[in-house]
Amino acid sequence: MLEAIFGSPLDTDIDKLPFVQRIAATLFSDQPGSASRNFFLSALWWSLLGMGAGLFAAAEFAMPDLVHNVPQLAMPHLRMWHVNGVAIGWLSMGYVGSMFYMVPSLCKTKLWSERLGNFTMWVWNILMVAALCTLLNGNTEGREYAELGAIIDVMVVIGLISVAMNIYMTLINRKVKKLYVSLWYFLGSLFWFPLVYIIGQRAFVALPGLNDAIVGWFYGHNILGMWFTTVGVGMMYYLLPRLTQAPLYSHGLSMLGFWGIALFYAPTGTHHILQSPAPEWLKAIAVISSIFLLVPVLTVLTNFFMTMRGKWGMVVTDLPLRFAVTSSIFYLITCVQGPFQATRWVNWYLHFSQWVVGHAHLALLGTFSFILTSSFYYCMPRLTGKNWHSQGMIRAHYWLKMLGFVLMMVSLTTAGLVQAAGWAFGIPVDQWSLQIRPYWFLRELSGVMILLGQIIFAYNTYKTLYSAAPAPEAGAKQIKPVEVRV
Amino acid sequence: MNSYGKAAIGIMTTFFIIIFSTVLMPMYVFNPKATGHGNDYVATKDGDAHRGRQIYVREGCFYCHSQFTRLQDRGYGPLVRAGDYYKDNDQTYETPHVLGTARTGPDLTNEGGRMSSEWQKAHLVEPRAVKPGSIMPSFSYLNDQDMNDLVTYIQSLGNMRKVQHFVQAPDEYRDTTELGQKLLARKTVDTNSSSAANAGRGIFTQNCAVCHGLEGYGNGPNAITLEKKPANFSRPFYQQYPDDFWFYRVSEGVPGTRMPRFGEVLTEEQRWYLVAYLKTLPKDKEVVIDNIDQLDKVPPIRLPKLSEQQYEPHTGG
Repeated sequence: MLEAIFGSPLDTDIDKLPFVQRIAATLFSDQPGSASRNFFLSALWWSLLGMGAGLFAAAEFAMPDLVHNVPQLAMPHLRMWHVNGVAIGWLSMGYVGSMFYMVPSLCKTKLWSERLGNFTMWVWNILMVAALCTLLNGNTEGREYAELGAIIDVMVVIGLISVAMNIYMTLINRKVKKLYVSLWYFLGSLFWFPLVYIIGQRAFVALPGLNDAIVGWFYGHNILGMWFTTVGVGMMYYLLPRLTQAPLYSHGLSMLGFWGIALFYAPTGTHHILQSPAPEWLKAIAVISSIFLLVPVLTVLTNFFMTMRGKWGMVVTDLPLRFAVTSSIFYLITCVQGPFQATRWVNWYLHFSQWVVGHAHLALLGTFSFILTSSFYYCMPRLTGKNWHSQGMIRAHYWLKMLGFVLMMVSLTTAGLVQAAGWAFGIPVDQWSLQIRPYWFLRELSGVMILLGQIIFAYNTYKTLYSAAPAPEAGAKQIKPVEVRV
Repeated sequence: MNSYGKAAIGIMTTFFIIIFSTVLMPMYVFNPKATGHGNDYVATKDGDAHRGRQIYVREGCFYCHSQFTRLQDRGYGPLVRAGDYYKDNDQTYETPHVLGTARTGPDLTNEGGRMSSEWQKAHLVEPRAVKPGSIMPSFSYLNDQDMNDLVTYIQSLGNMRKVQHFVQAPDEYRDTTELGQKLLARKTVDTNSSSAANAGRGIFTQNCAVCHGLEGYGNGPNAITLEKKPANFSRPFYQQYPDDFWFYRVSEGVPGTRMPRFGEVLTEEQRWYLVAYLKTLPKDKEVVIDNIDQLDKVPPIRLPKLSEQQYEPHTGG
């Protein structure tokens, strides 16, 4: 049946096919690497819209009267789209693109079905368009991180299941016996994340009162813990040894880290509502697991940093490696910050403040967006056989993103401390809200830097893919497309 | 079975144990009893609170406003209990939850009745007009029905939780602690007597009137230069201030505003006199001076015409 739609797979000359088949063969290409590349490019596109919305929302914090009477540009609507745009669009699509490149490479085989991959890519892009249109109009389910409507939820689940199917079938066809640790992370994530997503969306059920909050935060934390962290760490395990040409320090440690994350990450969600009247035993489980998370995190990072022994100097010239190393350092900071924030006495003071927003950005922007960028810079030339148009633009991207992020972190953390003091001492909101105005402006500035970096990144990608290759720069390695031998 | 098969079984078992313990178990074990203090979302002639809640969710209010009070929160009314999220009206629990995760604005658990509906509406349309320091977005795009429903919803929040005082002084000013007891033991002024109030009036004129105005309407000459306007003591809200809270505010000032810590300037006795006077200021309806004709104008002092000889005698002339 597939042949009726797409034409014979061996029929490489697309132009000779009838019109419908030609369109189908173009949209659902079976070129090796096309699914991965398309996912990467879509992710980049959605990152511009997602981060742009974040920037605009930040501007409305600094200048609350910037926009009047346009519901689509109201801060809460922009925020919904910002969160979903970067989480489901930029990070998740980029993750899928990375897995579509890394898993075949680790299994020494081809992706099981490029067509299924491209089909998933279209489903995902359509759902992102739908998300953009609905969220900006306030069509939300009203659950934080699970705002998407029921139809879009179903599309996400279809997307996730077809990705999982594709990756698992690739694994079954693998040509190596032993599974590298990255694969453990990818396979684990693709098993549990669709389930976490289905539980977390609560699309067709209405849970009563606080139970809705408990399940909501189970999901709200585990979209991070069972998806962004586990796939992101898997990518770090792939990229660091590949980029440094050094063997992984210890396979045993990496296994300890994997099982630690699998065991301790999932029950931590309730630490988001630690001071609400949720059951105390659940809070206790959440706090204890949060602290235990230090074990896998420090294990993973020990492994990374020992792998980097004697190779630290490489970050000067190797830009993807620089992104990856920065990401792992931010990972260290965020994962030391997190467990302490989850303890009751620190949470007592810091909860509800912008400190937490800073922490969330440290994880998603500082850590996982950086590792995804590293993966993008690493994979794209290998998928297309084209060298990066400009190393200078990559450098500019790095510094804008890095310095912009540090500025954002500092301003949000400081604003958070001012707010926390306000709450702790019972000072009414309208009395401290003026004190944090300078930090809203700083955050706005940081957003401008980050988005500018992302625009440079997008331009660089465009020039790389769609213009004639420039003469290779001195010192830059010539990259050949990967040839997959079957 | 090879080791990967065992690992796969291990992952599945781990995952389902976690799902069971943190998602399924709470659903069965945790069923809080209704306390009878939940919000009663009934439709009134002004609007439909049920629909207002949907608008609250649609407009994403819960991203900046939480709806649970904590032990350490001051001035947000009584602590919520798990059963408070039960709606007596239609016998169900509230869903989706709007507990909130950040407080860029105040907590709204007990917001109902704190401000008038006109104020709430004005605040939604043009937040900075009624609260100069606010960064709330303007929701002027809501149509009349949405706006009325939303305000009805806000006004129904916490209505079943009756409270006497929304604000309390810190412990060291109250008779619940040793420090506070000592403070009250030292107090010799009868803050309810008119003579004490009269004594306080002089202290008010010397220290407070420059910002708060001679009659306490918040319109002293300094007020024009302040971004956070001084309090208008004629607001009925201040009737609920107990003595110890007045004393605390006078002593420690109001952080975030230009209100100084008068504890460093005035003696304890003077501050109690001041409290006695301040207690007489709140009225049943707020007095707002927005027109120069409303003021008790005093004719400006005119100096007598002086000759230069009289004006500067030492210059000779």
